[in-house]
Order: sequence, then structure tokens, then C-alpha cells
Amino acid sequence: MSRTADPAAAVMDLPRRDAPDKLAGRTRYTVDMAGPGTLHAAIRRADIPRGRIIRVESGVARQMPGVRAIVTAQDAPGTHGIGISDHPLFAGKEIRYNGEPIAAVAADTLEQARAAAAAIIVEVEALPPVLTMAEALSPSAPLVHEGWKDYGVLFEGGARKGNIAWEAKVVRGDTDAAFARPDVTIVEGCYEVGRQSHMPFEPRAAIATFEDGRLHLVTSTQVPWTVRAVTSSLLGIPSSQVRITVPPVGAGFGLKFDCTIEPVAALLAWKTGRRVSLANSRQEEMATCLCRENAQIRIRSAVTTEGEIVGREATVLMDCGAYGGEQIFLTTMTAHTLGSNYRLGSVRLSTRAIYTNTPPNGAFRACNGVYNTFALERHTDEICAAIGMDPVEFRRRAVFRDGSIGSTGQVFEGEVLVPMIERMEALKQKSGSREAEAGGRLYGRATTVGSWFVFVGPSAATVNLNADGSATLVTSGVEIGSGTMVQALPQIVAGQLGIRPQDVVVKAADTDAAGYDVGVGGGRTTVSLGAASVKACEDVLSKLLPVAAEMLQTSQDNLVLGKGRIEIAGRKGSGATIASVAQRAQALHGPVTGSGSFTGQGVPSMAGCAMGHFINAIDIPIFAVHDCEVAVDPDTGHVEILSYKVVQDVGRALNPRAIHGQIQGGVVQGLGYALHEDVTIDAKGRIAQDSFETYRIPLAQDVVPVEFELFEGAPSIGPLGVKGAGEVPILNVGAAVACAVANATGKPVSRLPLTPPRVLGLLVSDEPPLDHPHIGKDWSSNVIALPQSVRAG
Amino acid sequence: MTMRLFINGEERSAAVHPLTPLVDVIRDELLLTGTKSVCREGFCGACTVHIDGVPTMSCLLPVIAAEGKAVTTIEGVGGPGNMNAVQHALEEHDVVQCGMCFPGMVMSMTAYMERRPAAPRADIKAAMSGNICRCTGYERIIDALLSIAAKEDTTA
Ligand code: FES
Ligand code: FES
Repeated sequence: MSRTADPAAAVMDLPRRDAPDKLAGRTRYTVDMAGPGTLHAAIRRADIPRGRIIRVESGVARQMPGVRAIVTAQDAPGTHGIGISDHPLFAGKEIRYNGEPIAAVAADTLEQARAAAAAIIVEVEALPPVLTMAEALSPSAPLVHEGWKDYGVLFEGGARKGNIAWEAKVVRGDTDAAFARPDVTIVEGCYEVGRQSHMPFEPRAAIATFEDGRLHLVTSTQVPWTVRAVTSSLLGIPSSQVRITVPPVGAGFGLKFDCTIEPVAALLAWKTGRRVSLANSRQEEMATCLCRENAQIRIRSAVTTEGEIVGREATVLMDCGAYGGEQIFLTTMTAHTLGSNYRLGSVRLSTRAIYTNTPPNGAFRACNGVYNTFALERHTDEICAAIGMDPVEFRRRAVFRDGSIGSTGQVFEGEVLVPMIERMEALKQKSGSREAEAGGRLYGRATTVGSWFVFVGPSAATVNLNADGSATLVTSGVEIGSGTMVQALPQIVAGQLGIRPQDVVVKAADTDAAGYDVGVGGGRTTVSLGAASVKACEDVLSKLLPVAAEMLQTSQDNLVLGKGRIEIAGRKGSGATIASVAQRAQALHGPVTGSGSFTGQGVPSMAGCAMGHFINAIDIPIFAVHDCEVAVDPDTGHVEILSYKVVQDVGRALNPRAIHGQIQGGVVQGLGYALHEDVTIDAKGRIAQDSFETYRIPLAQDVVPVEFELFEGAPSIGPLGVKGAGEVPILNVGAAVACAVANATGKPVSRLPLTPPRVLGLLVSDEPPLDHPHIGKDWSSNVIALPQSVRAG
Repeated sequence: MTMRLFINGEERSAAVHPLTPLVDVIRDELLLTGTKSVCREGFCGACTVHIDGVPTMSCLLPVIAAEGKAVTTIEGVGGPGNMNAVQHALEEHDVVQCGMCFPGMVMSMTAYMERRPAAPRADIKAAMSGNICRCTGYERIIDALLSIAAKEDTTA
């Protein structure tokens, strides 16, 4: 049966059902759930970046008041990881970063647990650490993982060697020939960014209990199924014996896209037989934040005077910290961000995740897309300056058109970026310039483009149509603040079933109740869970409509659903309530339930041009055009944002007001990244910023209202034509601000964040352009090995 | 030591050290978890409560300093069904995201909007600088707060 609901039925500014409780302090996050009688846990962490552990002695600590259990590496000897299984729960023999867990304590109170953790005797032999990627790549560098060759590789194809945890490459066409052409201008640039700390208001937190012999973890996570799999493997219990439930999450932004402290809480619950709560303090949260990684980039392009990019070579170094984690996977993304937007005659990309003795990095909203877009757009403006072309005109000419191929040979469909650029030009025209507000300061403006994607991946949904005409949606989706679980999903289900979204009950994630899901991140929730939900609704209707047709003495094809009723098309007021049909169906055949599942079918790429990539082509591209006006104070180096504009490709806007909230919030996070969120690593390998005071995130007075337009109608395999809208608003903020500051100052902006001292430095000094000596000018010196076929070609 | 507190109009007591931060007593002893403990050093505003009507960061205040005073937490200002004007405006404008900052935001801005109901945008922004939000980017919160005065204008 293929009865398609009118997608417009799902479009509305549905308010959030969780807002009243959140505004009244009634919502219970994981950090609010410990309650009386629960044991509290504390972690003993390494205070050197690299060393050998000689002895861990917990006898004295174990005897301290209130202490119930202490666990160490001996209790969980296994490892986990995303592409490489390189990460132990506790440091056993070797310490690889400052802050690495060595032991954990459960006690009656948090103070007792902390006191005992501090009393554990840890004897170490300190070794010289590798703190930067430049050091890690030097031939004499110590290996962060001496046993790297022996690790389990969970995904084949990436080149690895020593401190190079993973290398992904793209080779399409003959760049050597392109750069040798007599009619091209060659432009080369180096770029660099620091880390970004998520600072979710709720830290990572978990509460573990054993119930009827099974582990139950209540946790603040974006990935319940990852936590289930990793915890079961580290504890050595079957994953069917682990249940994960997730209350409302006090924001994630990607930080909670990995399993981190949950297995520690689980081990302590196992040892004590008690309910154990573990939550990071703000200092621990920042010291061990799985930050957006610091990165260094070199790009070289060959461009004609007409603005055709005939060749591009780039190398991206991503610091994964002490363990590979998400960065292994993210090496893939360079192809789809730095290698995207523009039509390239030939291209070579090398992206290397580098081990250092620093805290591991992770995923952060639009991940490495944010800095790759910064580097690419600064490079693009440098190209425009070199060939003397207006930056907007250059982009009009060079961006993807309908049928253009991306760096891995994927074909992009539809005219999207060019009309988006025109929409931005019209918006700029309409709003006018704020130049007058700059006063005596330097005024600059820039318009940038960016590409991101939705990682589709598998999702499952069950819909129960209840006899009262309401529906219950059961998925593993998590509400992390973006509103998907309280807005988009109930809207989609209601639209499919012809009921009100208020009548769709959404069950919070529980791995005992719902099927597998990759997790909430990468803008995939509305798309994948939405598509699974649509299929579950179709299943429900395949059971409901025959009953309705019989009740109404008509054929199924004549039936329409809406406003809680099933009616005969064209005859308003005919038919019956959905509740009465559901009751009839229940009496005849039993309760009406539907199930649906979804995964991306994959998009073809060109054979052989992507190596070590987890995804060779992207299922759902998302484009964004941003424009920014700035005023730069030449005396202080302070950058003020005068205006910010966004044109965002959303496919179909299901809840335009909620998308506005995501755009305003995402852009502001990007402004923090662009201007003042500065993570640095000190000489002891620690993240130097440990508080809201030392790590400055945007305050109310730092921000401006973002003007925006939603670009609808671009092709999408998402349900009802949607694309994820929450991930991408941060994507080109660093790029737009940097290009605007470069425009204002006439200086090469090659680094973020643009703190006042850095901007002042640019203004007053005549430093040579940024260079990365450890990234060779010859692209092929930045790869471990190329397959014979590529070398020959 | 037993501390006596007047919280949300009720007398409550807790056996804690007198220097325990008030936020810990509220959350861990009295189990009023609406007040959030986020930075614990007076920077984010998530722990804001009213002490004798004055917005105060409860992470910086030893419990003994609140003895004998009227403490109002987010649980005491109104909830679903009887929200105050600030809560109403924030709900109507769909500005809530993860929600962790909002209990403190509501406490601060309720006191401010009572004092300065017709405050202009720039002043509201300045008043909000003690309440950090990582999710929303602020501007829509300010739109919501400005709508309170606009509404009163049209109903007056
Ligand atoms: S927790 Fe008190 S100000 Fe942040
Ligand atoms: S809504 Fe998440 S911190 Fe404000």
C-alpha cells in the first residue's frame, strides 16, 4: 500500500512540550537523579602527560571512611575505539595524557570518594611527552602508542604508521598536469585552528545499577547503543545484559557522541552491588573534554583567470590526542568539506589523524567541517585577490552546479548553491550595510559558502496506535536540546496518521524498548529516525485502512486522514474518528502497531579515488551561505560583529521557528570559536582552561540577532524532503568572520580564534605568512603510501 | 550542625556544615534539583535563587548566610499551569533548548523585569550578562522578554 500523506501536514511551529517543565526546574537530567542512598564515584587521574606506571596501591584508600570499592585497569583490561581499538578504560601500564583515569572509587559521599581517590598511591616514571603534531611527526619522536601495529582495526583501509593514527586520501585526476599548465595562477596557503570545548551545562554523568542481574545505566549521552556496546565489551558481559536509558540531556554538541565514563560507573556498581552515580566536575569536564580538534592545513590551487579551479592539493593534520576516537572517522570528512563546494578539475587530499600525549579530542557540531571551511574560504579569498576577481563573483562561477562532481566523484544534483548565493545577495541588498556603525574602526564584510552532510545510518521506530486515537512513538532518539524529539518527530508522525502532534507520545530512549540507532548527531535524527517513523506509520496504516474501508463501505483509495478522522475524500464530515477505527481494528485483529526501519542506501562515488574513507560519498549534502560584517578596533584588536546573515539549505522546514532557534544558537557558538574560545595546552600537556572564567564562551552582550532565510526544495532522501537543520548553522561562521576581518584589515588571516592580541599582532607586525614546515610543500610527501595504480596514473 | 532555612515559604532544616554552598543544600539535602550547579564559581548564573527577593548565586553563598532569610528557588516561582510572565514569554517564543540555564535565567530575569518592566533591548542584554546560555544564542530570549512589556502596553 502506498498512501502518501501530504508533507505540508507536518509543517508547523509546534511549541516544545518540554518547555514548561524546563522553565520550572522540574525536568530531571541525569545529574539530578542520584538521590539519597546512592554511592558517589570519583576518578583518580594522571597528572603527567606521558609515563610508565610502576605501582598503583589502593590499600590505604580502601580503608578510608565510606569507601565501598576501588577499581583499576585490572578490572577492565580491554580496549575500545571507533576505527582502531586503542583506548583502555584506565591507564594500566602507560599514561598517555594528563588527566587519564587510573582508578575510580565509590563511597557513601562524593567528598569521601574524592578523598580516597586522592589517597591512592600512584608511582610513575615520567617520560618525555609528544605535545604537538609537529613533534609527533618528527622522525625522532617517541611513539604515543608503541604497540600501534598490534591494535585491532575495526574498519579496514586507512594507512597507519607510528604517530599517524589514520590517513585518508583522495586522488582524482592529474594535479601535476594541472599545476604545470601555463595558463594558471598557483595560490598556496597554510591555516591553523585551536581546539573548541563544548561546555554543555550538564557534564557527562551516569548512574549505574544492577537490576535482576542486568546492568542499567541512566546516562547523559547522544549514543545509547554505543554506550551499550562499549560498556558490555569492557565489562565482559553480553550486550543483551546492558540496558541504557537516557533522560533529557543538558546539551551535547557532539561531546556525548562517545562512551566515556559510563563503564566506570558500571564497574563500581558491579563491585558494590549498589547504585552508583558518577558525574564529571566542571574542571574534569574541561580537562578531559573531547574537544573539536586543533588542526593544521596546507592548500594549494591552480586557477585560471576565468576562475576555474583546475587543480587542488591539500593536507589536513588533525590532532586526535592520545587516542584515535572520533578523529579516525572524521578524516573522511575533508573530502566532503574542504574538497566540496567548488568544482575541481583534479584533486588530491591527505588527511592525517595524529597521536599526541594530550587529552583525546572528539566530535563537535559540524566537526572538522568548521575549520576546513575556514581554511577553504580564506584560501578562496586569497585566490580571488591573486586573480583579481570579486569574491562573490568567483563563488558564483566556481561552486557546484546541477550535475557537478565532488572530490570523490559523487554527482551533486540540483541547482542549490548558486540560487542560495543569489538569495544572500538579495538579503544583503534588502538589509543594507552597517558600515556607518564602524565609526573610526576598520570595516570589513565577507560572504562564504560551506558544505556539510547528514550521516544517515540505521534507525528503527515503532508506532503504537492506541485505541483512544493517540499514538506512541518508540525510538532510541535522545532529546539533547535541539527539539527533534519534541517537535520534528511528533510532527512527522502526526502528519502521517492524521492526528494532532500533541497526541503523539514520544518515549525517551531505552535500549530495552527500541531498536538500534546510530545516535543523535550529525543532523541525522530528523532524517533517519524520521524516515523510520514514516515507515512505522505506513505499517500502522496498512492495518488501519482496510478496517476503515470496511466500516465506511468504500475502497481504501478513497480514504483521507486528518484532524483525528478518517473520511471519504471529498465528503467532509463523512467517516469515523481514528480512535473508533483503532478500537474496531483492535477488536478484530488486536492492537494496531507498526514498525519501521531505515538506513541510507549509499551514493555512488568514483571507484578508486577515495582511500581510508568511512564514507566515500554523502547521502544528504547540506549547503550554507553566510555573510558577516565586522568592525575591527585598530587600537585594541577587538572585533565587533555588526551583522550576521545565513541562507541555509534545509530541504523542507518542518518547524521554521525551531530552526531559527538552531541558527541563532549555532551561529553564536561559531562566533565564540571565531573570536575568543581559546583552548591551549600547557607544558604539562594539560588543557590550560579549566573554568568559565578562563574559557570565554559568548555572553548576551557579545551577540547579534542573526538574519536568516531558509532555502527549501533542494533534493533530499530525507522523509518529506527534510535535511537536518541543527548541525550546520555553525559551519561557516569561522570562515565568514575570518574573511571579513581579512577584508577589514587587508592582512592574511590564517588562524582562529581572532582574539584581540592576535588581531593586534596581525595589524602591527609584518610577519611572513603562516607556514607549517612539517607539512611538505610537495603533496606526496604527506602520505604514507599510495597504491601502485595511483602512483602510476 | 542543623541549619534552618525558609525555602519557598516552608521552614526546612538540614544537618550540614555551615559553610556548605547553599546550592548543595538545596539540591542534595532538600532535593530541590531545579536549581542547577554548573560552574560553582559565580560565572554562569544557573544556580540563581532569590534571597529576600534579591537574585543571588547560590554556589557562592555559604548556607549559614541564608539562615533566617527567605529563599526562593525556581520551584517557588511557578510551574506549568501557573507560570509567571517571564516563564510564559519564554515558552510562547519557543526559546528553550537543553533547558539547563533556564531556571537561573528565569530567577534573574523575573526580578529584573519586575523592577524594569519597560527596559529597552540593550539594558535587558546587559542585565542578562550574568546568565550564560550555551545553546540559544540569547537574542530570542531577549525578544521574548521584550514581548512582556509590549503585551502589557496593548492590554493596558
Ligand atoms: S553554578 Fe553558580 S554561578 Fe555557575
Ligand atoms: S538552553 Fe542549554 S544552556 Fe541554555
